[in-house]
Amino acid sequence: MLLTTSVGSLPKPDYLMKARTQHRKGELGPSELRRLEEQATRDWVAFQDELGIDIIVDGEQYRGDMVAYFAEHLDGFKTSGLVRSYGNRYYRKPIIVSRVRRRKPVTIDWWRFAQHLTSRPVKGMLTGPYTIMDWSFNEHYPSRRATALAVAEVIHDEAEDLERAGAQYIQIDEPAISTRLDEIDLAIEALGIVTKGLRAKTITHICYGNFQALAPKLMKLPVDQIDLEFANRKFELLDDFKKMKRFTKEVGLGVVDVHSHRIEPVEEVVANLRKSLTVFTPEQIYPDPDCGLKTRTPEEAKEKLRVIVEATRIVREKL
Amino acid sequence: MLTTMVGSFPKVAEGRYGTGVIGAVTRWQKQELSDDGLEQVFQDVTRAVIKEQEEAGIDLPTDGQVRWEDLVTPLARRVEGFEINGLERFFDNNVYYRRPILTKTPVRRRPIFLNDYLFAKRCTKKPVKAVLPGPYTVVKLSEDRYYRDEKPFLRSIAEILNEEAKTLAKAGAMLIQFDEPALGFGAPPLKQVIEAINIATQGVPAKTALSTYFGSLNGTLEELQRCRVDVLGVDVVSDPKAIGAVKRQKWAKELALGCLDARNTKLESVTELHALFDVVTKRVPKDRLYVNPNCGLEFLPYEQARQKLDRLGEAVRRYD
Repeated sequence: MLLTTSVGSLPKPDYLMKARTQHRKGELGPSELRRLEEQATRDWVAFQDELGIDIIVDGEQYRGDMVAYFAEHLDGFKTSGLVRSYGNRYYRKPIIVSRVRRRKPVTIDWWRFAQHLTSRPVKGMLTGPYTIMDWSFNEHYPSRRATALAVAEVIHDEAEDLERAGAQYIQIDEPAISTRLDEIDLAIEALGIVTKGLRAKTITHICYGNFQALAPKLMKLPVDQIDLEFANRKFELLDDFKKMKRFTKEVGLGVVDVHSHRIEPVEEVVANLRKSLTVFTPEQIYPDPDCGLKTRTPEEAKEKLRVIVEATRIVREKL
Repeated sequence: MLTTMVGSFPKVAEGRYGTGVIGAVTRWQKQELSDDGLEQVFQDVTRAVIKEQEEAGIDLPTDGQVRWEDLVTPLARRVEGFEINGLERFFDNNVYYRRPILTKTPVRRRPIFLNDYLFAKRCTKKPVKAVLPGPYTVVKLSEDRYYRDEKPFLRSIAEILNEEAKTLAKAGAMLIQFDEPALGFGAPPLKQVIEAINIATQGVPAKTALSTYFGSLNGTLEELQRCRVDVLGVDVVSDPKAIGAVKRQKWAKELALGCLDARNTKLESVTELHALFDVVTKRVPKDRLYVNPNCGLEFLPYEQARQKLDRLGEAVRRYD
């Protein structure tokens, strides 16, 4: 109980950031980049393993944007010119130009690579169909629904392959799910296609949302576990959960803020975990960071993970 | 039938006017580039963006909002009383804006967009449309720690926008548009919103437009006809039901028809645009009709933004 984990991404070390830039400029070959990605993955798996994190992630050292990564590895997408995300930030948004198809598995090689490095379970990490649809342009499918459902079939195949390879936990991230609540039923329908028939434990991570409006739909999400940011909302979500009649799913409990440089004191996380235990059972709770840690420095990320493990150990001892 | 843009156009254009503005803003943020140096870059891009519109045959260009971080930050930066806070999602887009926080009485000590407008005007012989965020949208996108009451907040922003609109009209703007995307979401307090728009347009010696986009007007179009504006902008892309509402109206005002999807790269055909024009011209005569993308074009990469403008120009040239 109180199994610790991470949401997915971990920061890339400086040498890998440099290598990725060189690779983009054509100054570094793919095999050399791959060697460095493997090195960084090995280091992160070893770090989590030694720290005692229960469910390990590969840290996504070889991924950039969570939607672009899948767009680059699936048929049907092309890359756009630069689009503004906010202020002075730009990115390339995928464009769906033909039927979305999976020629070969996307994440299985890396999952196997990471799983061979540890005896603890490694989580399979996928981006959900609603988010892939919402964060892409679409020139092929007649509607948003048709797009999301078509992408869902492809992500389902990927999830099945992960399960076949031995993944016990499969996380399907849907950060876009809570932003257009008029489409929540579509997001649920699409996610249902992904998780249909899976025996592995399924998880979805949701962020940036209007939680009050989302709450009535949480039990309808076709996954075993819902991962949410609690820390950066000062654990106010606990009150919302208290008001809910019946919440029987597991909850990925974000106990450290990924947007802040501050390293939470262990006592603070202990207190918040204990508070959470008044709302959820120990079996329901999976302590983790609020979101992917890739925006922090490697040192900050390690410190935050260390705090989670330490705080959880203290709480477990007194259960 | 005049072609126009709603407001923004991509500030970066690989293969055309380049991506230099990104580096310039970064250097300016690090204080490695002076205000004048940055302004020079903005002017170059503005000139290029206006040229794009001229090449596409747009009758009523805008300055492309090249200096705008988002819809509300330029105003919040130049009006006293606001602080600028963290990122928030911009309506139903995967795009973010900085949320202004009102901490004291808002005061407009100096014009907000006058210099930008004067520069844009010098770039083209065509009339340049001036665009302002609407009062209701400014209020909805801000956090009010001062009034803690929507009514007086709305009123003071409307008054500030009225001063600004008068300044822009005196500078030569013949059409001044107020953007109110917030009207597409939730249940807006229509009486107050209309009052605020009427304050904003009061005594402005130019044509005025209320531009709505995103979400759904949910049957409020008839009420909005009561605003004292000359032009009402309706986005018939985001809400397919909007076209039915346009058809049901008696149009005393001019209509700005948002008919190309500025949030998706898929290019509309001339045929489908003509079908839409056919429907609308039954209600609004051609000489009272503006056609434009449904919202600012900055949600698209340069290539597709330009294609949309070209297609708009083409569709109107071939329509009779």
